[in-house]
Amino acid sequence: MIIEWLTGFTIVVGSGFMLVAALGVLRMPDLLTRMHATTKAGVLGAGLIMIGVALHFASGPVLAKAVAIIAFLILTAPVAAHVIGRAGYFMGLSLWDKTTVDELKGRYDEATHTLTSPPDTDTPPDGQGRA
Amino acid sequence: MIALIWNIALMLIWVALTGSFTAPNLLLGFVLGYLILGLALRDTPEFAKYVGKVPKFIGFIGFFFWELLLSNLKVAYDVLTPTHHMCPGVIAMPLDAKTDGEITIVANLISLTPGTLSLDVSSDRKVLYLHVMYLVDRDAVIRSIKALEARVLEVLR
Amino acid sequence: MLHYAIIVSYLLLSLALVLGFIRLVRGPSLADRVVALELLASLTVGFIGVSVIYSGRAPFLDVAMVLALTAFLAAVAFARYLEKGGQRSDH
Repeated sequence: MIIEWLTGFTIVVGSGFMLVAALGVLRMPDLLTRMHATTKAGVLGAGLIMIGVALHFASGPVLAKAVAIIAFLILTAPVAAHVIGRAGYFMGLSLWDKTTVDELKGRYDEATHTLTSPPDTDTPPDGQGRA
Repeated sequence: MIALIWNIALMLIWVALTGSFTAPNLLLGFVLGYLILGLALRDTPEFAKYVGKVPKFIGFIGFFFWELLLSNLKVAYDVLTPTHHMCPGVIAMPLDAKTDGEITIVANLISLTPGTLSLDVSSDRKVLYLHVMYLVDRDAVIRSIKALEARVLEVLR
Repeated sequence: MLHYAIIVSYLLLSLALVLGFIRLVRGPSLADRVVALELLASLTVGFIGVSVIYSGRAPFLDVAMVLALTAFLAAVAFARYLEKGGQRSDH
């Protein structure tokens, strides 16, 4: 009985977070802020639903699969965000008007695809330049 | 590392002896193996370090899921309310993590904690570029991420 | 009780799929579309999770696992393509 309530609670809350992720992707102003919504809320939403699945079946193999899926999401979602963000910079993405600083701008080498670190990491460069 | 393998071996022996291959029994076997290692081999440095690490690791997992929940509530609040309260920015943070594995784990955890998303590591591996949602005080943001990084490295090293 | 929870979850996830699809169609850049596709994939993983509970057939979880894997590979491949001289802009 309690397990049933817990299962219901986790899947509804998980779906709620997924809806928040979708709303975020729709409403956020630029690529980077949209990725915030998908990585965090997407991982938490799918993770909660998988916890619900593990609770509902309460058996070894299902638990192992659920844990594997959660671990996989936690490992891959940030990496996906990193590669897409990087590609966005090479495509010349435009940031939201209210973005305050962009210290990454202009640090990619377009020819060799390497990324330089700021000349002095203690004092931030004047990164007001926007596309 | 060798201590972890021993702990898993003890767990498997427990499961084989009791004859029930279920999740609670595996967990019980792990706890028993941990206690045996902690009591019997507490004078061997390799094992003593391991015994200290396991509670730290469990504490870290708890801390991590708490942060994940907080970050989601914050983003959810901003998504659901009609006006955006964000002042996003991209900043560079000097890294203490050295090896590829450490940098990967630190960057992934930063992506999953409140308001920060790791974008890229400089080619010389000195700096991590982050996108921050609420960049009001740059130094405060860097200090809190540094604290997270120190916590991760404490578990890893 | 669980029955209603499953229905509510299905509704929330379906609405989320529609919203994600709107972003997929609207763009504006190809990278935005890839982010929307990522989201649709993880929504489908959640959908499969709920339907596993609904149907009681645990083996369907394998589908969710494979989907999460391929979605990640697709995102990496897309990003690689965009970075190494794909279309600069599609709007």
